[in-house]
Amino acid sequence: MSKEISRRTFIKGAAAAGVVVAAGSYFTWNGNNIPEKVKKGDITYDVLIIGSGGAGMRAALAAAENKNLKVAVMTKLVPTRSASTMAQGGMNGVTGVSDPTDTVESHVFDTIKGGDYLCDQDAVEYFAERAGANIYEMDYMGYPYNRQKDGCFHQRKMGGHSHPRASYFEDRAGHAMVHTLFEQCLENGIDFISECQMLEISMSGEKNDQLNGVIAMDMRSGNLIGVPAKSVIIATGGYGRVYWIRTSNPYSSTGDGIVAGMNVGIPFKDPEMVQFHPTGLSANGVLLSESSRAEGAQLKNKNGERFMEKYAPEKKELATRDIVARAIATEIEQGRGVGEGIHAGVYMDFTVIPAERIRERLGQVADLSKRFAGVDITKEPVLIAPTCHYSMGGLEMADFHTGESRVPGIYVAGECSCVSVHGANRLGANSLSEVLVFGHTAGDGAAAYAKEHNYAGSQDKLAQDCQKWKDRFEEVTSRPEGCGKTVPEIRDAMVNTMWYKAGVYRQEDQLNQATQELKALEEEYKHCYVGDSSHVYNTAFEQYIELGNLLQISHAIVQGALARKESRGGHSRRDFPKRDDKNFLKHTLIFKDQKTGEYRAEYKDVVITKYQPKERKY
Amino acid sequence: MDVKLRIHRFVEDKKWVQDYTLPVTVGMTVLEALTQIKEHQDPTLSFTCSCRSSICGACAVRVNGNAELACEILVENLMKRYDTDELTIEPLGNFRVIRDLIVDWDPKYARIKKIKPTVHPKAEFSAEEGCKQSPEEFNKFKKLAGCILCGSCVSECNKNSWNQDDFLDPFVFVKAAKITRDSRDKDPKEHLKAVVDAGLWRCFNCQECTAKCPKGLDPAGAIEKLKEATFKMGLDDNVGARHAKAIYDDISDSGTLDESKLNIKSEGFFAAGLRAPMALRLMRVGKMNPLDKHPVNKEIDTIRKIVKNAEAASKEEN
Repeated sequence: MSKEISRRTFIKGAAAAGVVVAAGSYFTWNGNNIPEKVKKGDITYDVLIIGSGGAGMRAALAAAENKNLKVAVMTKLVPTRSASTMAQGGMNGVTGVSDPTDTVESHVFDTIKGGDYLCDQDAVEYFAERAGANIYEMDYMGYPYNRQKDGCFHQRKMGGHSHPRASYFEDRAGHAMVHTLFEQCLENGIDFISECQMLEISMSGEKNDQLNGVIAMDMRSGNLIGVPAKSVIIATGGYGRVYWIRTSNPYSSTGDGIVAGMNVGIPFKDPEMVQFHPTGLSANGVLLSESSRAEGAQLKNKNGERFMEKYAPEKKELATRDIVARAIATEIEQGRGVGEGIHAGVYMDFTVIPAERIRERLGQVADLSKRFAGVDITKEPVLIAPTCHYSMGGLEMADFHTGESRVPGIYVAGECSCVSVHGANRLGANSLSEVLVFGHTAGDGAAAYAKEHNYAGSQDKLAQDCQKWKDRFEEVTSRPEGCGKTVPEIRDAMVNTMWYKAGVYRQEDQLNQATQELKALEEEYKHCYVGDSSHVYNTAFEQYIELGNLLQISHAIVQGALARKESRGGHSRRDFPKRDDKNFLKHTLIFKDQKTGEYRAEYKDVVITKYQPKERKY
Repeated sequence: MDVKLRIHRFVEDKKWVQDYTLPVTVGMTVLEALTQIKEHQDPTLSFTCSCRSSICGACAVRVNGNAELACEILVENLMKRYDTDELTIEPLGNFRVIRDLIVDWDPKYARIKKIKPTVHPKAEFSAEEGCKQSPEEFNKFKKLAGCILCGSCVSECNKNSWNQDDFLDPFVFVKAAKITRDSRDKDPKEHLKAVVDAGLWRCFNCQECTAKCPKGLDPAGAIEKLKEATFKMGLDDNVGARHAKAIYDDISDSGTLDESKLNIKSEGFFAAGLRAPMALRLMRVGKMNPLDKHPVNKEIDTIRKIVKNAEAASKEEN
């Protein structure tokens, strides 16, 4: 036995002996995921934020600058597990530190063009004007920026941008942002209401427009809690999980906040606008970086044909994300893909690149391919397929100067919102800057609202809503095995519907079928089998709630896609392959009828300031 | 090929080990296996996960006694590593277990707070114009900024297993090391003092944290760097620092430890006096004789060279 092992064994033994001696004190913990005052029900928050990603925590810090206000962040996991942590590229903002010729106008135009002219141009101007300031602010908060020689943070150029303007931490820009914000929240004493699954925003009053607070389930105890609040900021992230494993999003991106918002009358704006990245691993949807294609990897179908020559004769694999994603989807659909069902894909061939260069520049890609697909990309091609990457749509932000929705007291920020800055297609590194800019704005907006208003909600109604969910929990979790399909069975059926009928390509007859299928699934959902009746950390029940939300999101996507009879950005209709500015330079607004549960579409004109729509060419 | 997972279950005060068998497929991670069990065999099995690409830190568990990120470790590789078709999965060690594989993070956040976990920028910097820092200064802490708060490092930490009350988790030390090495911070001493008070010198130096970190951050190394920094900042008036200094002096002077004085130098004359009974016992069995002249190692020149080189290497690293 080697010396290292014997040393380890020795220390282990000694420590274990110590545990026996100190056994009395070993499990004394003072921890608590929910502040005592929330449990006792003797606090009304001025600003209650749902979601602990970049937008949520940025909003919390902004609101908490008002020292007299009571601010809390509620999250279904613990902080730092959010989708924001996964962002790799950086955060955009015009500062001129790496390229003095960069201008705010240029950032505005790149964003609008990238968004295929579905952006509200006044909102984009507001966004681009503030993005730079937020980057400096993060520097002051301790963000670990990669630096250039003059001591400033370095900025790099991302796809679709005409200047380098993305500041970053290595290839983990989002991770660094979330941890910096979390450290700030800890030091500033922000209340966290952790591991609480938000279920509903409770409203009262004749017109049902008076905010009471938020109903949530404390995962640890199974208790239903009603947290009274003067204002609420919804910052719960996107909805990529409607495509389940065909997304690069985390398991938690289930659109919880969007559904809660729709249920209190906030419209879901542009739900059909979903961004598909062309190269996710076909095994599990995990993203293989854009740099694969940039370094020269070739896409081939099952016959070994380099099919991009057909779809984009000049740029081939280097065409934009949407073009490549659509080409891959077409190949698979027409029977030239490899593999079955949701895992079908095409080959991405790296063997044309010298092995040396793969090791040097595509280490992460090689590692992911090896791990999840068992493929050594220096020797054989790996199977890839499009994967849902970002949700441009979200809850309508009624006023981008404050972050408010059209329901008084309710604010929205981040991927769950639609400002609209990204329009029909988001550009790289604009998402992190969006969460900073509008997280900040919404935090300030909600704080100002809380200062001007007294709590006028009904605590009785809050308690009633709690009881309603308590009853629902008991009913749902006590259903006997065999009462219906299981939650994963319904989810898989939903994914099949969404991926094949409302995925990369859409067309009328299939979208109509999708509507019918989703309706049938909602019926099955009503008596599905959850299979766990414990009150302690019942993740089976949580997944049941998330599935319910995903089904509603799916409905809205299909409804929006059906009504938008054109192709623009992330939305591609086979039956209407061209952009139609005459009829559809408009935002879709999907409302959910609060009584019947039916979905209804309305339209709102896109705001144009300086830039008239032109054909999008790169 | 099948794998048998022996999962430690804990639901509402009931504890048991439950076996699940399932086929191993290409690219199947531990997280994938857990998910399949939950979806097809037992919906009550509980665990947390989010990003499934090893950056969010939600899914760390213990496999055969060692912490792993469930989303990145392949079942196949574990079977090869342990040469078995049976794997034991437990929640992380040194955490309170809430249910099955889910652990309580809340006390950990309270511990992070102790070190004042943010950079307090120097006066010349501002929120409007940001900060300045050279690439070399950035390099000094960039690796430490990669911590994902997964908790793997503390799972097998022997000091934490012994007693958590007078020590921190390795990831908290990593955070402290990150901030104190960040040139933007105006007063690293403030964070360092908090770290010393919270038990910096009580690390067993067992290296379990460094062996377990899925991001290769070397928390044990971070702890050593913090210790070094306490000397530079003059925060060396404590038992741990004096003990380290006494050993350093002995080794540089004679190449051997002078056990009879080590204790006095570390703890001070009066506190060391309380250890007189042990000293007497050592003397009785001939392990220590204060009257003997302290011997000098024959290879003292070589030893001094090693010390010198180690100092030079450490300077370069800093």
